[in-house]
Amino acid sequence: MAPIDHFLYLSAFLFSAGIVVVIVKRNAIMVLLGIELMLNAANLNLVAFNILQPGLFTGHMFALFVIVVAVCEAAVGLAIVLRVYQHYQTSIPDEIQDLKE
Amino acid sequence: MVQSLTEQLDSIRMGITMCFSEVVLSTGILLMLLGGLLFRKKPSTFPLLAFLIILSSLLFFIVQAQQFDVPVKLFNGMLRSDDFSTYLKILFDIAGVLTLAMSWRNQKNHPSEFYALVLAVLLGAHLLVMSMNMLMVFISLELISISSYVLAGFAFTRKGAEGSLKYFLFGSVASAVMVYGFSILYGMTGTLDFSSSVFVEQLLARNSPLVLMAGLLATVGFLFKISAVPMHPWAPDVYEAAPMPVIAFFSVVPKLAGIGVLTKFLLALSLFGQSVYDWQMIIGVVAILTLTVGNFSALLQKNPKRLMAYSSIAQSGFLLVGVVAFMPQGVQFMLFYATVYLIMNFLVFISLQYFESKGIKSIEEFSGTGVQFIWSSVFLLIGMVALTGLPPTGGFTGKLFVFSSLWEAYQLSEKPVLLWLLVFGLLNTVVSLFYYLRIPYYAFIKSGDSQERQNFLTPENLLSLVLVILILALFFLPGMLMGWINKITFVL
Repeated sequence: MAPIDHFLYLSAFLFSAGIVVVIVKRNAIMVLLGIELMLNAANLNLVAFNILQPGLFTGHMFALFVIVVAVCEAAVGLAIVLRVYQHYQTSIPDEIQDLKE
Repeated sequence: MVQSLTEQLDSIRMGITMCFSEVVLSTGILLMLLGGLLFRKKPSTFPLLAFLIILSSLLFFIVQAQQFDVPVKLFNGMLRSDDFSTYLKILFDIAGVLTLAMSWRNQKNHPSEFYALVLAVLLGAHLLVMSMNMLMVFISLELISISSYVLAGFAFTRKGAEGSLKYFLFGSVASAVMVYGFSILYGMTGTLDFSSSVFVEQLLARNSPLVLMAGLLATVGFLFKISAVPMHPWAPDVYEAAPMPVIAFFSVVPKLAGIGVLTKFLLALSLFGQSVYDWQMIIGVVAILTLTVGNFSALLQKNPKRLMAYSSIAQSGFLLVGVVAFMPQGVQFMLFYATVYLIMNFLVFISLQYFESKGIKSIEEFSGTGVQFIWSSVFLLIGMVALTGLPPTGGFTGKLFVFSSLWEAYQLSEKPVLLWLLVFGLLNTVVSLFYYLRIPYYAFIKSGDSQERQNFLTPENLLSLVLVILILALFFLPGMLMGWINKITFVL
């Protein structure tokens, strides 16, 4: 059985980097990028853990589905960002403050 | 577990016959999109078609409910059809029908895609409550989420775009966190099927803080869907921006679906109570926070839509109380409360939509509407009284059931968090009185200028009347529904 530690370290790093990007970056497109990083961290985990189950492809299957869903999400997300840009001429959520109590 | 190809094909064929209503909904989505291309000139056909699709899916349950009462695993254990999920699915379909009825008035703004998206959310909710597998949970949750991001922007206004952007950013971060949690759980157990004994045994054997961490990450996605407190800030913005039928739909269908799957998932995660980590306490704290933040923020609102957003956050707290009780009975009472919640929420939203169409958009503008639009105001009052949980409405019965199950759970386990939850729940009910009755206060006590009377025979009023009768019936004869719910056995 191959050691999978370094994969897990890498995925934990990717996940943290994704969270940092989501929190720090102000542009909606960059936030989308951070989300993509987090999803890929999960993918890496799933594929790495699948090594522990020889002969089964559950983890791989899940990773494939995550990739497909991430694409759908990005497509819808970009469309929404485009719509927001048409209305506000910006894609930075902080500068869009019509909805306030 | 290697099966031959014919066995697998057989099980898939069997699964399809069992999932007839999901098949109907999926076909319906395609039909709606095709219809949008072919009959663009006749928009009145779309709601009718969507109506028929949901109705046929609903009819199937009524047939199915008598046929199968044992839980059946479908598609190699991906889904499971049981009483619990069937009951929730019936609620979703009723909510879908009511949403279509609400959007009947302004169908001009609704191209066929609107109905396709509503059907897609319904399909996602159906699959979510049946899921027994983390892969399936992820896919159906995303089906709900992605369709709702688009639905949230269906007002086609500046605010609508903003609301849907905020919903999207929040939602996708939550689902990414959830998938990461799932991946760690998969790594520790080697299976994605959270109902299997392997899952529980492996987690029990590990018992490291990582289990707690992964579990917390995984529940984030569910808590987001039910807008429980750490994950709630999207709700007011989305509710303010989205059209009224969509809000009514959001406040019921994704929320109940999230609660349904959370109930199952938590039971597995707490290893049927054997876990060293006290999940009952964690969810109890979440419920306390949800109740308190939701109710106190609602006190400050001026916009009825934002008010209802915070109200729906607080109501998820009450639904969570039923989950926290962690007993079969608690789940049954939670289902009862969910039914009542569906009826009273739609009752309020139908009236609010009527007022919005008359140009009344903030709470101050409700002055004098009690005279002007007497029937809508009366229905709104009854809905608000029910949401507060006062007799003689089903809301009172629901809250009574939920809290009594919590009390029993406290007496069994004597955990202080349950007592605190009970205390906070009761206090919050009192707090909620102040904001729920604010709109009726403006409507009936404050006087307006117009003396024009409203005609009783409008479609909205007739629909509201049916809901009012139901909600009163649930107070006077709760046994009718409880008798049915009591047959539901909740097993994992």
